[in-house]
Amino acid sequence: MTTQAAQCPYHGNSETRSADAASVPGSSDQARTTASQDAADYAVADWVDVAELASDPYPTYARLRAESPVAWVPQLNKFLVTNYAGCHTVEQDQEIFSANVSGATMTRAIGAQPMLRKDDPEHSVDRAPVNPVLRPKSIKEVWGPVFERNAETYLENVAELGPEEADLNRDYAAPVASQNLIDLLGLKDVSVEQVRRWSHDFIAGMGNVLDDQSIWDRCDASTAEADALLKELIPYYRQNPDASMVSAFANSGLPTSNVAANVKLTISGGMNEPQHMVTNMVWALSSHHEQRAQVLADPSLWASVFDEAVRWQSPIGMYPRQTTRETVLEGVRIPAGAGIGVVVASANHDAAHFGASAADFDIHRPKRPHLAFGSGVHLCAGHWAAKTSIGQIAVPMAYKRFPGLRVDERRNESWDGWVFRGLTSLPVTWN
Amino acid sequence: MPTVTYTQPNGTQQTLQVEEGTTLMRAAVSNGIDGIIGECGGQAMCATCHVYVRPEYAEALPEISDDEDEMLDCATAERMDSSRLGCQIKIDAELTGIVVDIPAGQL
Repeated sequence: MTTQAAQCPYHGNSETRSADAASVPGSSDQARTTASQDAADYAVADWVDVAELASDPYPTYARLRAESPVAWVPQLNKFLVTNYAGCHTVEQDQEIFSANVSGATMTRAIGAQPMLRKDDPEHSVDRAPVNPVLRPKSIKEVWGPVFERNAETYLENVAELGPEEADLNRDYAAPVASQNLIDLLGLKDVSVEQVRRWSHDFIAGMGNVLDDQSIWDRCDASTAEADALLKELIPYYRQNPDASMVSAFANSGLPTSNVAANVKLTISGGMNEPQHMVTNMVWALSSHHEQRAQVLADPSLWASVFDEAVRWQSPIGMYPRQTTRETVLEGVRIPAGAGIGVVVASANHDAAHFGASAADFDIHRPKRPHLAFGSGVHLCAGHWAAKTSIGQIAVPMAYKRFPGLRVDERRNESWDGWVFRGLTSLPVTWN
Repeated sequence: MPTVTYTQPNGTQQTLQVEEGTTLMRAAVSNGIDGIIGECGGQAMCATCHVYVRPEYAEALPEISDDEDEMLDCATAERMDSSRLGCQIKIDAELTGIVVDIPAGQL
């Protein structure tokens, strides 16, 4: 599971001001000076409470959208962009808003720069080899049966625990997401628990802006294990190519260091999100009985349930960019070298884009593009895998297996995080 | 500079002058043409830049690749013989004047 939410693993800019001067070369001091001199140019939202963000960020998002959708937030050392138009603009222009954010934690954590931190053309070189594995036909035909098998395995697990004890996150969502990723990547001789540990340790390393040595030690230990496995797998897949992601990377001609970084990126980024979508969907349907009845009567609605759930409670709330030059965004002047937080979870609740009901869960709302998977060249490579493995398979199968599946209100549920947000526990029961 | 004309479902047309070498999708998104989304930035991974190309331009188009073909089957609006992904069509002098129809939906 993700660590303390304020430590965003997907950015190099630090969360604390003291670390910023070290991590943003040159322009950080300039940015701070400019901030104090040109305070009138952009709003400063120093009221933002980071602890409140982690417990429930949506009221903060609503206030930011209303008052200052592009605002400097000193305690995060970033400009937070919280409206749909602003986030969309940022994602469309990788020249001005670069993904190559400064700060060494991601590279330090996984050993080399992964594709997520590159702009085109370098980004495309890393990304292109895995797109074919992840297109819808491959996902449905090759991987669908695997995702079904994994769902079946852990539904048994849930059944054994029973309707008084089962926790959908711990007993189903987490192991299913982990095993699906192991299979899609093509990792061999690893357990669900081991890969979950790797994912946790990599994410902690990526967020380790305070340079805690014990976090580096754990991250390095997990990195060493993953690297050792890849050392065997890469030559294996060159000899025995198959439909997996590691096979695609191994046969791409990319240097081993690129392959290793991108596989570790995938382990970090491709587990928690599908996991959270399992619990998000069940949580949403548990409090929207009419819509739940509709989808159970008409399975063709599962795609809409997934899509609306990922918009309504986006597992990735924010990711970073950095300006390469001074620019104006939504009428606000932003200096060069500034850290930007693209708060897609907030954009996904923007009434200006989704209408007055933006904050509601409504599977029948008119289709509008949302940003839960990002947009532009970094659009989540795994989005078809997520839609299929979770939206078409894991959740529908759970409802089929457990009639009356619902949140068990006798036990406590728990949400956490804003940069990454999800249910850390979701007790469920059934008839 | 080559020109491209986009036709909305209600018949409204917008004609753009575009840089040679840009794609139908990129020109539309950069110029705020409604109805073409291009969610994946042109990687043939999303099928949200689906257009219908007027038949008189069909011959000048590049061949449909396997990837484009697969993704066209995922397009929300009905796939027709004139269906193409806008991100896979580079505009050059040969295609100048091309007219496309935008489908009713991409999502």
